[in-house]
Amino acid sequence: MSKQVNIIPCSGIGKVHGLLAREIALRLVNEICSEEAKTECLGYIVTEDQEIADRIKASKCITIDGCPKMCAAKSVANVGGTIAEEVRIVDILKGYRGIKTGTATALNDDGWNIVDEAAEKLAIRVREIYGEE
Amino acid sequence: MATVKIGVISCSGEDCLGGTISRLATRKMMEEVRPGDAVTLCLPLFIAGGEEERGFAEAHPTITVDGCSKWCAKRATERLSGKVSDAVQVEDIIGSEAARGSILSTRQLRPEHLEMVDKVTEEIKKKFDLIVEEFAEQAMTIKLC
Amino acid sequence: MSKEYAILPCNGLDKLAGYVTREIALRLAEETGSEIICPTFYRVSDARYNKVASEKPLLVIDGCGTRCAGKLAAEKGLKITEKINVTDESKKFGIKIGSGLRMGEDEFKLAEMIASDLLREDAIPPAGQDSKSAVIMPESLEYEIYQKDKFIFRLPKAGFYFNENDCWAYVSGNKARIGVTDYVQKSLSDIMFFTPPEVGSEIEQFGEAGSIESGKAVFEIICPVSGVVTAVNEKLLDYPEYINDNPYEQGWIAELELTNFESDKEMLLQFEDYFKIMKKKVDEYHV
Repeated sequence: MSKQVNIIPCSGIGKVHGLLAREIALRLVNEICSEEAKTECLGYIVTEDQEIADRIKASKCITIDGCPKMCAAKSVANVGGTIAEEVRIVDILKGYRGIKTGTATALNDDGWNIVDEAAEKLAIRVREIYGEE
Repeated sequence: MATVKIGVISCSGEDCLGGTISRLATRKMMEEVRPGDAVTLCLPLFIAGGEEERGFAEAHPTITVDGCSKWCAKRATERLSGKVSDAVQVEDIIGSEAARGSILSTRQLRPEHLEMVDKVTEEIKKKFDLIVEEFAEQAMTIKLC
Repeated sequence: MSKEYAILPCNGLDKLAGYVTREIALRLAEETGSEIICPTFYRVSDARYNKVASEKPLLVIDGCGTRCAGKLAAEKGLKITEKINVTDESKKFGIKIGSGLRMGEDEFKLAEMIASDLLREDAIPPAGQDSKSAVIMPESLEYEIYQKDKFIFRLPKAGFYFNENDCWAYVSGNKARIGVTDYVQKSLSDIMFFTPPEVGSEIEQFGEAGSIESGKAVFEIICPVSGVVTAVNEKLLDYPEYINDNPYEQGWIAELELTNFESDKEMLLQFEDYFKIMKKKVDEYHV
């Protein structure tokens, strides 16, 4: 049986980008790719507990970072995870110039549309990686 | 009256309902309950070496808010910037069964979830105000000496 | 004209894009006499490659989104002149990379197209300089810091002029480099778009010199000096986040040949005065 892909969002709380990352991840693992993907909590990953480090290393990861600081990518790499794809929300938003997406507490309708579209696109990559395992 | 800014650090909240509640309560503290005095610190940035987050946590009191008993926010803050001033555990407030429920998208929030957010926010506020009071007393003591 | 580089390719062995990277590096080395840095060896031992990496313009070639070569360059503190990502380039050239691990006709064609593109006369600027950049900046800048809550605002202490629109100019001879201050980049948050002024265009003092945009707002860059635009920071077109990283160094906006500086500087502020203004704005605006 193939291993589920780990989707790790940064979930940064200071900017709307962190919320977008989080919601894209949830849309993928809860709805679109519920068989092929799972998420792991970044806060837990950085405790470097053996249990979570083993889970991260067991499957390929897709990190979704809200900003160029790349916290999720750095933290996953730090525990020895293999990152198959690094996604940046700022890169996604370049395709939606001028659109306001909400706040770090709540997305607006445009924000949710972006979440849905980005999740659908990322699902293709998720399935590719799942198929490779 | 002397005032103090306090860093409020939520866990990332990706594992369970408690995490979503933790994030929302932290945001509520900053936006509504204690705007200007409650400063949210981004845990992933804090951990990945964010100079601003770490610098603030070293120089100011901090309250961590954890969604579950793994205590990720508290452990990370203690490891990277010393003792936290206080800690909130969402499981203690809404019950471990509720807190360990499935992770929730903000698109799925219902009134009962918002009530949980209010309860947790109230707990954070109590601890917040206690720290402010202690700070004010210390400041008064120094002034009198 | 032949250009010699230090080429740092990724070492991707688990994807075909990694093999394409290697092929590009080999072609460039054959055409230009450039030296290829072995990333695996470089990771375990600095000695062999540090000299060439600092003396020649560094070209980083990554196969995929993991960007191993780029990360290695960052770890080693190298100044990257140019970087490309083969997966992105394959989309640009409309050639799909296969899923196996053996190079086929398409992959060789892609490698050839990318290498030819890089070898174009104007493709990569010489070492240590951005395209047509002429202003010599100090090796390092000393900053004064103002902190509000967790946010840190820096301001260079010497050699810079500022306007009240939060833009700066650094003058060197009859040229100036311009940019925005930390106040601007923090207020905007993550900058995603850069619209540069046109090279060759004449701008009056306080005229518009392009704009930068984030999810929050569009900021028009109000030029502190009069002059003719001689260079723009082209790296910002792909990496506008450099402005957030450091708006005074790698995030500079443009360079101008000055036309009226003796008069312009009467309307500009130096560090002490602008620092007071910046602090006031920071205190008033909850970032």
